[in-house]
Amino acid sequence: MKWARIMAIAFLLVVSAASLLANFVAPASYAHQFRDVPDAAPSRQHLLGTDDLGRDRFSRVLYGTRVSLLLAPAAALLASVLAALVGGIAGFVGGWVERCVMAATDLFLSLPWLFLLITVRALLPLNVSPVTSVVITFALLGCLGWAGAARVVCADARALSQSDFVLLARASGSAGIRLLWHHLVPNLKPVLYAQFWISVPVFMIAEANLGILGLGVAEPLPSWGSLLRELESFSTISGQPWQFVPLILLIVVVSSFHLVLTQEELPV
Amino acid sequence: MDALLSLRVSGGYSGKPGVMRDLALELREREILGLVGQSGCGKSTLALAILKLLHLKGGKVEGSIRLKGRELMALGEREMRALRGSEIGLVLQSPMSSLNPALRIGTQLEEAWRVHRRGTHEECRRALLERLENVSLPAEPGFLKRYPSQLSVGQAQRVLIAMAVLHRPALLIADEPTSALDLITQSEILQLFASVRRQFGMTILYISHDLLSVATISDRMAVMHQGEIVECRPTAEIFREPAHPYTQELIRALPVVPQLAAAAGK
Repeated sequence: MKWARIMAIAFLLVVSAASLLANFVAPASYAHQFRDVPDAAPSRQHLLGTDDLGRDRFSRVLYGTRVSLLLAPAAALLASVLAALVGGIAGFVGGWVERCVMAATDLFLSLPWLFLLITVRALLPLNVSPVTSVVITFALLGCLGWAGAARVVCADARALSQSDFVLLARASGSAGIRLLWHHLVPNLKPVLYAQFWISVPVFMIAEANLGILGLGVAEPLPSWGSLLRELESFSTISGQPWQFVPLILLIVVVSSFHLVLTQEELPV
Repeated sequence: MDALLSLRVSGGYSGKPGVMRDLALELREREILGLVGQSGCGKSTLALAILKLLHLKGGKVEGSIRLKGRELMALGEREMRALRGSEIGLVLQSPMSSLNPALRIGTQLEEAWRVHRRGTHEECRRALLERLENVSLPAEPGFLKRYPSQLSVGQAQRVLIAMAVLHRPALLIADEPTSALDLITQSEILQLFASVRRQFGMTILYISHDLLSVATISDRMAVMHQGEIVECRPTAEIFREPAHPYTQELIRALPVVPQLAAAAGK
C-alpha cells in the first residue's frame, strides 16, 4: 500500500508538471490544425495522432489536463469556502438557524446532483468564449457542490461550539464573529482541508460528464470532458485505441487521488 | 466584610429540573469560599448560572444574582459580555480541553486580553508576561509560542489561571480546578490560588467534590445537597462540628477526618 501511494504521488506530480509546462512540453498549440493530416495515427510527430480537425492529440491532452487539474481545485476551493460559511455559521449559531439551514442542505442533497448540474448548465448561455465557459463550468461545480461538505462542517462546528475552550472563551467575554474567527475557524481547518481534497476528484469527473454532453468547456479549449467526446462513436474508435488515452488518464488520476487520500494523513 | 456576590436562584435543565432550588449563597470580599457536594449535584450549574451562560448547556435560571450590588439578572447579553473576564473569571476542570488546541498560548492569552482592552502589541505582550510571572510560569516570549500540547497539565492549568486573572476580576470561579491533577500538582495549584488571592485581592468561589482541597484553601465552606445550600460556615467550624446529616456523612467518608478535626480544634 505504501508503494502504491508513492507511485500515485509520483504519477500525480509528473502529470501536474507536464500539464503545467504544456507550453514548453507540447509539440503544438492545442488549437493548431495540421490540415494535411487529419485523423492521423500515432507517429513521431504526433505521439497520439491527430483528431478529425488535424489537431495534435497529445498537445490537447496536455492542455486539457492543465484545465482540469487547475480548475477542479478552484471549484473545490469555492465549494469548501461556501461549506465553511454555511455549515460553520449554522453549527456555531445552533438552534432553529441550524435546523433551517440543515433542512435546506438536506433538500439540496436529495436532488440528483448530476442532473441538477446538467439542467443548470443547460439553462446558462452555451454560446460563449472558451474562457467564459471555463469560469461558468467550475463556478457552477463549486456553487452546486458545497452541500455535502457543509453537513460535515456543521457537525464539526456544533461539536466545537460545545467544547470547553469555546465555553472558556465565552466566559472571557468573547462572542460573535470574534469567537467564530479566533476559536472555531482554526479548528475547522482540518475538516475543510479534507473536504477540499475529497472534492477535487469529484469535480474532475463532474466536469468530464458535462464535457461529454457538450455542456463543459467550449471548443477549441480542451478539457478532459471535451476530449472524451471523441469516444462518442465506438465504431470510429474501435480501430484507434490511442483515443482512449484521455479516459485512461482520467481514471488513473482520479484513482491516484483516492489512493493518496485514503491514507490516514491528508496532505494538510 | 461586605458581600461581593449574593445570590438566590432556582433553575435546571429541561430534562432535569430543580438542580438548584432556591439556592442562596453569599461571597464576601477577598474570601475563598469552598463549595462542596457530590458529583452531579449542580455545582457547575451554579458556576454557569453566575456567568449567565447556563443557556449554552440548555439550562434555565431564575432569581437574583447581585455582584457588587449590581443585579446581573437584569443585565443584557452585551453588558454581561463586558463583565465576563473583566469582573468574573473562570477556571475549568480539565486544563487540556479548556485550551484551544489549534492556537498558541500567546494567541489565546492575547485574544482574552484584547476582548476588554485596546492597546499596542507591546502593551499586550508586557501584560501577558507579567501574568505568566504571577502564576509562576516562564515569563519568556518563547513560552507564549508553545501550543497546549507542548505543556504539562500543571502548566496548562497555570495558563488558565493566568487567563482568568488577566484583567484582575473581582470574582474568580474555579470549577473543580484540581480534579484532573496529580497530588503534587494539585498542592501547587492550591498554593497558587492562595497567592492569586493575596496578589490581586480577589474573591474566589472554589468548587470541588474534594473535601481535602477545600479544607486546605477555603475560609468558609458551603455544602450543596439536593439543589440547596444546607450549610455555610467557616471551614474549620464545619469540620469540627458538622451540623447537617449530609455534611456529617461527607466528613465521615474522609479517611483523615480525625487529624483534620484535631488540627481545627487547636
